[in-house]
Amino acid sequence: MSTTAVRAEPPPQRASLAQSILAFPSRVVAVFSGPIGFALKIVLLAVSNAIAIWAGVILVGEQKWIAVAVLVATTLFIDWAYMSKRSLALKFLIPGTILLLAFQVIPILYTVNVAFTNYSTGHILSKSEAIDGIKGNTLAPPANGKTYLMTPARDADGNLVLLLADEATGQTYVGTKEGLTPIPKSDVQVDDLGIAGAKGYTAIKGTEFAAIDRELSNFTVPTEGDAAIRPEGLDSATELAPTLRYDPARDEFVRVSNGAVFADNGRGSFVAANGEELEPGWKTAVGFRNFSKIIHNPLVRDPFLRVFVWTFAFAFLCVGISFALGLFMAIVLDRPGMRFQRGYRILLVLPYAIPGFLSLLVWQGLLNDDFGVVNQLLHIDVPWLFDSNWAKVSVILVSVWLTFPYFFLVSLGALQSIPAELTEAARVDGGGPWQVFRKVTLPLLFIVVAPLLIASFAFNFNNFGVIYFLTGGGPQSSDQTTAGDTDILISYTYKLAFSSGKGQDYALASAVAMIIFFLTAVIAAIGFWRTKQLENVR
Amino acid sequence: MSRRTAFGACVVVAMLAMVATAVPATGAVSGSSAAGGTIRIWTDKDRKADIERIANAWGARRGVNVEVVEKNFGDIRDQLKTVAVASAPDVIIGAHDWTGQLAADGLVLPLSPKKATLRQFPKYSLDAFSYGTAVKRLYGAPVALENVGLVVNTRLATVPKTFANLEKQALAFKAKSSENLAIAVPQAPAGDAYHMYPFFSGLGGYVFGKNKAGNLNPKQIGVANPVFLKNAAAIDRWDRLGLINSKVNYDTAKNAFLKGHAAFWVTGPWEADTLKTSGLRFRIVQVPRIKFRSVPFLGVQGFMVTRYANTHGTATLAKDLVASYIMLPASQRALAAANGRFPANTVAGKQVNDAVLKQFGAAGVGGVPMPNIPQMSSVWEELGGAWLKSTNGTSTLARPTFTTAARNIRNKIG
Repeated sequence: MSTTAVRAEPPPQRASLAQSILAFPSRVVAVFSGPIGFALKIVLLAVSNAIAIWAGVILVGEQKWIAVAVLVATTLFIDWAYMSKRSLALKFLIPGTILLLAFQVIPILYTVNVAFTNYSTGHILSKSEAIDGIKGNTLAPPANGKTYLMTPARDADGNLVLLLADEATGQTYVGTKEGLTPIPKSDVQVDDLGIAGAKGYTAIKGTEFAAIDRELSNFTVPTEGDAAIRPEGLDSATELAPTLRYDPARDEFVRVSNGAVFADNGRGSFVAANGEELEPGWKTAVGFRNFSKIIHNPLVRDPFLRVFVWTFAFAFLCVGISFALGLFMAIVLDRPGMRFQRGYRILLVLPYAIPGFLSLLVWQGLLNDDFGVVNQLLHIDVPWLFDSNWAKVSVILVSVWLTFPYFFLVSLGALQSIPAELTEAARVDGGGPWQVFRKVTLPLLFIVVAPLLIASFAFNFNNFGVIYFLTGGGPQSSDQTTAGDTDILISYTYKLAFSSGKGQDYALASAVAMIIFFLTAVIAAIGFWRTKQLENVR
Repeated sequence: MSRRTAFGACVVVAMLAMVATAVPATGAVSGSSAAGGTIRIWTDKDRKADIERIANAWGARRGVNVEVVEKNFGDIRDQLKTVAVASAPDVIIGAHDWTGQLAADGLVLPLSPKKATLRQFPKYSLDAFSYGTAVKRLYGAPVALENVGLVVNTRLATVPKTFANLEKQALAFKAKSSENLAIAVPQAPAGDAYHMYPFFSGLGGYVFGKNKAGNLNPKQIGVANPVFLKNAAAIDRWDRLGLINSKVNYDTAKNAFLKGHAAFWVTGPWEADTLKTSGLRFRIVQVPRIKFRSVPFLGVQGFMVTRYANTHGTATLAKDLVASYIMLPASQRALAAANGRFPANTVAGKQVNDAVLKQFGAAGVGGVPMPNIPQMSSVWEELGGAWLKSTNGTSTLARPTFTTAARNIRNKIG
């Protein structure tokens, strides 16, 4: 929610601080060379090995042999690296590498992988699971299908049977794998819970239910044709017949009533010639289909340019205004000998300290044009969130409010790192304050701040929170698209993936995320290239 | 040298100790997935205690352990997709409008309760949990019902018998003070098609038509059907007069009613406690008929059996719990009461004597279950947005706005 500052620390303000930071690694090394450090190291390694063994047992249980091999190799490597004396650099690299792999590389690979599948509503399971699912879903009661009160029991030989009583007629039966056999009603004992038992049969009770569950859920008593009585729970059974039959050799479903064929369409569904699709489908690779969908879908194509331009403008204005305001505040509050300086600084940093989504919801209430505090206090009638242009202004204002403290902090630090001799020399040479600022301070400042500006731009380019919580992408102007006027690429992606079609299209979302990633990467690359030029100037 | 050996010994001992603690843990993990005989239920916080009590009573009879896991209600549906088989639930609590998505995903199993049991439930509550493009099957046991009603502050207004009377009273009340609202119904900031549905249905609007088999048809969209469009001029008049104002959000509507700045409030039984403790005199009715009966959306909550019950070897047990035991009147009464809703079972419903719940129940008569097909996710934002735009006090006309919304929905469904 907040800006990138969570990760970027303000630059060191004094030389001594920088020195102590540089000395920190060697001190850590020193601690870990002593006996206490050694013991600590052993404990940590033992914990990591124990976790590896625990994970290994699970992976062996699931027969994931490649993962087991990787796990064993990595664990042995880590042990070696920390026990050996010849691997000082590795000792520092390993934790970072593991975190990088776990939180950056693997999610990215996973996203890329998902972008080339059809992972979405109706395409969650594997194909064999989907086939089982369809078989179960498409059972239907045959004409005059009966329902029975039921209790599972064992016959004299210990075989599982069903004691049944027709719900409509009360006629009683024994159901076996061979079929139904009527038994006299007088042989069956009934209590308040249903059938309690029958002469010659022992009703199953208590803990035995768990043991027979699998057997019971696959138990069928054939009746007429394909129809069979199936237990539905432990006290009732229903006569059901398949309406679709699966042909494993041809890999297709055939409708029993009219012979319609549902064939694998190669995109994770069984589909009939008339377009009827069986559910559930399964998750499968679909190549570049999601990307071609993005190009051909009018929902994406039509508003894309408008949304892209606004995304760019939004990110640019947010960063630009926030930086200008932050820098201005930093310069104003940097005057030595100012009273209450600390108090002002704390006040300015406050918006940054409040969780972003909270302040966004508060702003949403404040800006309501009929009932919001802003309009009521100022006695104005500005449609902050309901008019297309004003909503854009509101979104930028609020995100500036959220972001400028970050640039205030950064600029404050950076200003102090600019050697006073330089500005003094400039002044001696006859430069006015504005000239000194523009020709000396600002270029020096940019060297420090430019990478942060680029990072902040990339962040605002994808600043989902501000849009989602403040305007929800709205208002929708009356043009013919579903994109709202303040929707940026990422919030519009969310709408496309989660509030269109059948709901949750993770694959489409991943594909758009990849495109946005490339856009941001290009922008950042250009930015960093320009920064290098700045440094050359120096 | 001897010091190094001592270190070496330390290393070995410490690692063995860690391994020793790790092994039983892994044993426990692999053991629990193999043993069976445990039914795991995912539920929300409100109903956890009652479900524990009811499911344990059932478990004692069936000889199985019950493990009730508390989840955020909204997370249950999404986490069911990604959960590992070993920790997956056999039974979940859910809302009826998840049915289509979960069934299309293949994550829930169809149920066939006894006919005698089914007869105790209103048909719409069973329809609400039924889904299938090829064969329509029941996927959930309904437990609790909810819908919005028109709450009338009887000190400020009389209970309106006709819509014209509602309009007259509401506008007269609004004219008394600039702080007053005519009808307090929440829409801001993103639109709220759920709370607005009585006004939509009253003008002849509907979301999806039904095909011959009685299934909702995502190709047949009624958001801009000719009858509704013909009546849509009424919306422009309401907008002009300020009868409905889309800048009102949930808190504004609630506070206005509670502080006496609104005589009419559209809300549901989740505010029953607020109403009872408000000290106001009120009565809850259905929004009076406009051109058609102004029925609300009906929401049904219930229990479903997941496909993981098959994997765990607990499918018949889970079906016994959901399709038999939970559908009994006694279980229904307790579970519905646990979060202040009306029970789905009609036998249990007759025993409810909470006046507020009964009035909300009466306000839902003839209502339409929220469509449970997954394509509904393409509708909410557009339908809510159309209301938002046409009642925001500007000159945006309802007819073209709803026509655009219908086209957008069609494009989104694809």
